[in-house]
Amino acid sequence: MHVIIINGSPRVEKYSNTEKIIDAFSEGLAEAGVSFERYAISNKNNWDEAREAYINNTEIIIALPLYVESAPGILLEFLETLPVKDKNTRVSFILQSGFAEASQLRCGEEFLKKLPEYLGVSYGGTLIKGDNFGIRVVKEEEVKKLTGPYKEMGKTFASGNGFFSEAVKKFAGPEYFSLPIRLMLQLMFKTIAKKRFAEAAREFGCNVPLDYRPWA
Amino acid sequence: MILLIDTTNEGIGKKIASELVNSSRGKSYEYIDASNMNISHCVGCNFCWLKTPGQCVIKDEYEPLLKKMSKADQVWLISDTKFGFVSYKAKNIVDRVMPIVTMNLHMVGNQMRHITRYDKNPNWGVIYSGDGDKDYLSWWCERVAINFGSKSLGVFSEKEYKEAISCM
Repeated sequence: MHVIIINGSPRVEKYSNTEKIIDAFSEGLAEAGVSFERYAISNKNNWDEAREAYINNTEIIIALPLYVESAPGILLEFLETLPVKDKNTRVSFILQSGFAEASQLRCGEEFLKKLPEYLGVSYGGTLIKGDNFGIRVVKEEEVKKLTGPYKEMGKTFASGNGFFSEAVKKFAGPEYFSLPIRLMLQLMFKTIAKKRFAEAAREFGCNVPLDYRPWA
Repeated sequence: MILLIDTTNEGIGKKIASELVNSSRGKSYEYIDASNMNISHCVGCNFCWLKTPGQCVIKDEYEPLLKKMSKADQVWLISDTKFGFVSYKAKNIVDRVMPIVTMNLHMVGNQMRHITRYDKNPNWGVIYSGDGDKDYLSWWCERVAINFGSKSLGVFSEKEYKEAISCM
């Protein structure tokens, strides 16, 4: 198996959470003896290369962050440039998000389920998982803790069945959080999380409150 | 204020805007032809949450549009369809709405959401041309509205524009 992995995130690769997820995932592929090539579409100068790889190969994974409930605009624009292929090509997806519950990714997943039909190709399933916002703001050594689970999913994908296994379903985590967890989260959002976001903002060089209203 | 944002090359929203006037329901509206506006995609920098809260760092033609959206009662996104979904131009406009919510989170019902930046938030509707997947678009529009603290006005094909007007 030889896999083409396309990072569909608009964020430059250096800061892309999706890129770090692909790092871990492709480590798993490599350990299982699967070769891969990686492309990213955040820079439009790389689109021709990514498209060529899509055209000339049959095992494709598009990894993407959830942007307002579906695929990011830049990825939609790139997808419009792809030619229609046939069912010998299989396209699978890695969909990740900041929001934590699996239910938050279902609308995005639905778009990805239907997309292969429009592209003429077969569908290899979608690996979904939320709670990935932290990758951006934690220290470098902590990133691997967050992305680590994706390595196992790389090995799972290498077995050849796309993203349809029970392990993939479990990987998505709970559809909704239970009431006790929601109450705990609500408390955390008002305290620890708020403080951490404010700290992150200071590191970004922000000097106004996060709820500042420029157009009030 | 009803804001009609038209991203279609054919300008299908123009007809809707003139019908809206004729229906003489006395509502104020603004029609914006966004098909050729210089509007970048969202680059995911998070600066609108963490560095310059409430403001996008990309200085193109988007900011005045977002300001209008933020103050409108209704935003109608008028779009061509591709892959059954809205066009990338329309999606770019929605992806960049993020400055009107903050980084901070809270629970709304049984899901987490970003806390909105302003007290007032527009309701969202979609009018589409071409081969749109109406069920999907309806689901998506409802989810979009939830994210921005408001309600979906519904999704209508170009042919159903009179129904859309009845919701305005």
